[in-house]
Amino acid sequence: MASLPPGRRAAVGLLGAAALLPLVVRDAFVLDSLILILMWGALSAAWNVAGGYAGQVSLGHAAFFGIGAYATALTTARFQQSPWLGMVLGVALSVAAGGVIGYLSNRLRGPYFALSTIAFSQVLLIATSRWRGFTAGSEGIPVPFRPGLATLGLGHVAWVYMALVVAALYYAVQVWLERSRLGYQLAGVREDEDAAEALGIASRRLKIYAITLSAAMTSVGGTLWAQYVGFVDPFYVFSIDLSIRFALNTIIGGIGTALGPFLGSMLITSLETYLRATFSGVKTGFAGIYLVIYGTALVLVVRFAPEGLIGLAARFAAAWRVRADA
Amino acid sequence: MLTLERVTKRFGGLTAVREVSLDVRAGDLLGIIGPNGAGKTTLFNVISGYYRPDGGRVVFDGRDVGGLPPHVICRLGLTRTFQLVKPFGNLSVMDNAMIGALTRLGRVRVARLEAERVIATCGLTPHAAARAKALPIGLRKRLEVARALATRPRLLLLDEVMAGLNPSELAGMIELIRRLHADGVTLIVIEHIMAAMMRLARRIVVLHHGEAIAEGTPGEIAHDRRVIDAYLGEEFVLAQA
Repeated sequence: MASLPPGRRAAVGLLGAAALLPLVVRDAFVLDSLILILMWGALSAAWNVAGGYAGQVSLGHAAFFGIGAYATALTTARFQQSPWLGMVLGVALSVAAGGVIGYLSNRLRGPYFALSTIAFSQVLLIATSRWRGFTAGSEGIPVPFRPGLATLGLGHVAWVYMALVVAALYYAVQVWLERSRLGYQLAGVREDEDAAEALGIASRRLKIYAITLSAAMTSVGGTLWAQYVGFVDPFYVFSIDLSIRFALNTIIGGIGTALGPFLGSMLITSLETYLRATFSGVKTGFAGIYLVIYGTALVLVVRFAPEGLIGLAARFAAAWRVRADA
Repeated sequence: MLTLERVTKRFGGLTAVREVSLDVRAGDLLGIIGPNGAGKTTLFNVISGYYRPDGGRVVFDGRDVGGLPPHVICRLGLTRTFQLVKPFGNLSVMDNAMIGALTRLGRVRVARLEAERVIATCGLTPHAAARAKALPIGLRKRLEVARALATRPRLLLLDEVMAGLNPSELAGMIELIRRLHADGVTLIVIEHIMAAMMRLARRIVVLHHGEAIAEGTPGEIAHDRRVIDAYLGEEFVLAQA
């Protein structure tokens, strides 16, 4: 434990605290917040695999989230099959979609790539909201609640642990990426694609790997979210807002770091939950205030802590050490 | 090892490289010189796969590599560096070298040893943990060489690795290139400054307006009428200005 780097220790501590919380607190509001923090954290980690580690900044990841959500909603509501089957189908479709978008936008870099991903998620939004016969269109689909793990109908406490397992798994994927050959090569592609090519790295193929892995992870998150919330609405699951949320959590927490997406989610999700609770009801004029918070947080981070909360923490730690040595 | 047969590269109406032929044998240390805009870097871009030749053939180890992507050419054993250095800026010197080493080596631990070795060869050991973008230009040029070396090239293309160095850095770089050559790496070195090349290369090709106008030992080149007219004269004028 003592030999672990500070980021790993913090991660173990935070996940441990999340695991213990349901043992002491049974308040549905608190547990719901915790589940959302973990889910959005895991989904941001999934985004980070492509956006952070491989430098493929996507603003269309809602596409894969929506595919995962619709896969389970349609599998369970329309075909009365297991949501786990829906999850597998969603992953398969997302990997295929990620492969296609990765292949088609392979030559695009930076903002052009981001734009092409937005377009992709918007196409899916239009398709699902118009294909009334199959997807129920813009009305959305309720996901049937059937209690049990096999049907993913869980109580709040069980959902905490489900989200925790996924969060821990996604954290581990990122740590693996940091240490693996693929991770090093993706870092090369992210930093300078031409230089990476010169050093023998098949940059285009690797970018597709990163996007498909990220897409699969995002899709699983979409499936779980749909099962937890119980309703899939095309204008939410394919929204640009959602894509921005994944990116924003990661950027605010620390892009390209394993813990960053989770820290960002902790800050943004809890702020948003608090503000929604505070300004709901009578003060509906403030209903959108969380958007102001999003924007403000982003501006502050980009201006004062471009490496996110992680970078900020590292800077404080360094200053502390200097003072301790003096 | 490498044979260019009448290689041509055009950009619209401009012919950047015109029917250049040359032959590099294993163990050579070939210099390519020429004034700015002579087509030196364009030629490297064609050889290393960044540009597809519009005419002629690039044959490496008996295989026509013209139009193959750069990463394939690197894996065949031909690695290039960039004149405008392209370090992986946010990564450490060590990680930069490791990314090169991982091209041949599957295991991260083995690649780290290889990276340590090339970093030592290039005199970067004291800077191994530094972020690449924090290095001064002299060290960034060395990093460019170290990273390329980590891919274990049999033929290494160095694009102006001596440009912009101060005299002591320059002496160090010349020593490094000589050492790589002595270790068995075949080299093609592009340089803009003639003096450095005279001390280094066995054989020199002079490019001017995209054409190879002369080829020979440094001594022969220095006395070649066309070279003096095309290149040294210009330098002289520039020096006077």
